Amino acid sequence: MGEIILDVRDQKTAFFTARGMAQAVDGVSFTLERGKTLGVVGESGSGKSVLSRSIMRLLPGNAVVPGESKVILNGRDLTRMSEKELRRLRGPEMAIIFQDPMTSLNPVLTIGKQIMEVLTFHMGMKKRDARAKAVDLLKAVGLPQPDVRVDQYPHQLSGGMRQRVAIAIAIACEPDLLIADEPTTALDVTVQAEILDLLQRMVRERNMAMILITHDMGVVAGRCDEVAVMYAGRIVEKAPVRDLFHKTRMPYTAALLSSIPKVTDPPHRKLDAIEGRPPDIINPPPGCPFAPRCKYAEPACDAGKPALEGGARHQWACIKPLGEEVAA
Amino acid sequence: MNMQAPDNFLSIEELTVEYPLQGGKKVHAVTQFTAHVRKGETLGLVGESGCGKSSAARAVMQLPRPTSGKVSLDGQELTGLRGSALQKARRRFQMIFQDPIASLNPRMTIREIVSAPLEIAGIGTRADRDARVAEMLETVGINAEQAMDRRPHEFSGGQCQRISIARALALQPDLLVCDEAVSALDVSVQAQVLNLLEKLKKDLGLTMLFISHDLAVVKHVSDRVAVMYLGRLCELADAETIYRNPVHPYTRTLLSAVPEPDPDAPPHEMNLVPGELPSPVNPPSGCPFRTRCPRASEICAQEMPELRYAAEGQLVACHHPHLDGK
Repeated sequence: MGEIILDVRDQKTAFFTARGMAQAVDGVSFTLERGKTLGVVGESGSGKSVLSRSIMRLLPGNAVVPGESKVILNGRDLTRMSEKELRRLRGPEMAIIFQDPMTSLNPVLTIGKQIMEVLTFHMGMKKRDARAKAVDLLKAVGLPQPDVRVDQYPHQLSGGMRQRVAIAIAIACEPDLLIADEPTTALDVTVQAEILDLLQRMVRERNMAMILITHDMGVVAGRCDEVAVMYAGRIVEKAPVRDLFHKTRMPYTAALLSSIPKVTDPPHRKLDAIEGRPPDIINPPPGCPFAPRCKYAEPACDAGKPALEGGARHQWACIKPLGEEVAA
Repeated sequence: MNMQAPDNFLSIEELTVEYPLQGGKKVHAVTQFTAHVRKGETLGLVGESGCGKSSAARAVMQLPRPTSGKVSLDGQELTGLRGSALQKARRRFQMIFQDPIASLNPRMTIREIVSAPLEIAGIGTRADRDARVAEMLETVGINAEQAMDRRPHEFSGGQCQRISIARALALQPDLLVCDEAVSALDVSVQAQVLNLLEKLKKDLGLTMLFISHDLAVVKHVSDRVAVMYLGRLCELADAETIYRNPVHPYTRTLLSAVPEPDPDAPPHEMNLVPGELPSPVNPPSGCPFRTRCPRASEICAQEMPELRYAAEGQLVACHHPHLDGK
């Protein structure tokens, strides 16, 4: 057992909306060890991004988090901290990379200034040292001509380069926890492969823990130790990556895996689409949220939300889990 | 060089699309692109952003007209048509777009949206058109009775894409151009729409041009696949061949970068010279891929490689293709 960096306990995040309360994250618990990567997969609206912002405590004013939800980072409960204390932690202890590197960087500051800001604020570095360190970081993330690029603005860089800059900012203070929220969704496949390689290398070299959020089962398959599948705000299956793919227990995971087109399939294979749509999180169904779309559903599935069960390695939220023989 | 097969339904010949910039510069979006599509066939067009796949698709639609080159559909040259003749011809080729919500007018009802092409073409009475709209909506899996008088915001992305497909098919076109038609959809919904497109193609005998950056999606719907890089055609072959035995170094790179949903898949070597995609304003001399190609040599900088057959039905534009599996 490695050192536990992050312990999320019963995280619930809801939003006030015009139509009512939207329960975006509905009781998520997990722990993460140093040096490990946890993949979080799910379709849009499954709550994966709200979960990442709940961990970072970067939630808008209409968000409601009950008192029993806890996020413990390096032994300290973030839910009890003031915004000022949290600011001291974001950077040195936890950092996040967003999907769109154009909107997450400040368009009117040079990229050098944006990296230096982190270094002077958190590490108390002098301007000159911070600039030298910024160039080093840009070099570490593989930006060509770092000493020239450091004085450029975000619009002068390509999408892939901007994402490298966002990574440089995130790792500047060597955080223990790095959250990458769809870091490559806006990028082309060849650039995606380069950025994922880079993230993997950074996690290994700096012995960080990473949460990699994505909708792409291909990305999690190659890049994570463990995977949590989210549906309607809940983790519905969590397992080491191999078990998730080969010993799938949750019908939703199996359905998701077989609905993906694969380059290894023959052309024109009929896809096993999941009929229907994810549930409305403002008026969720009473029982298992996947039951209305599940081909194995039976009346008992509507009796209540199934809890996560199983061992420490592999958990699923289903009263009729698939057997070993139904591996995807 | 004549690559014309006798039964070509859609012919794209030496298509070039340039967009003028200030100061006399030009974006070379598509350069000398040639491809032929048989009746009832789906040609997939893949490449990364900026490779010109959407520009090529739009030039086929004459939206806008290409800078040079020829597009003909069923023997009729579209590039020569003007005004009402073009409008009339347009009934035969329709398009669906990436963003299903933005491509439907939010102020119109579904009835108005789907019947608009019929009205423009002056087909039938109002009652005839309504019947046709209902039929099309049912074909794409939308309950017509419930949907007709509602507006786009009341539907999900997947449903809006079905409505776009109904609109595109209302005039019974022969050619359907799909530009990233499933890219904005979640995987579970994407599979539904892909299955629908496959079914419609079979039932209605559609010829399709399917543009996507997603190689797995393209393989699923295509009979043949064309790979583009920086406005040029790199490789064109039937879907099975190009995925099993790609011969252009760029096709290989692209395929090796696709993350496979299989934890036991071997980690892949991308074989790409580090660097950035060159600008289509100043494309490299010779072969556009040479600045990132591990096989590039002197000749690649001097001459644009001609399109030639690497194998039966497999066209490649490369000085050093991977022949015989090497």
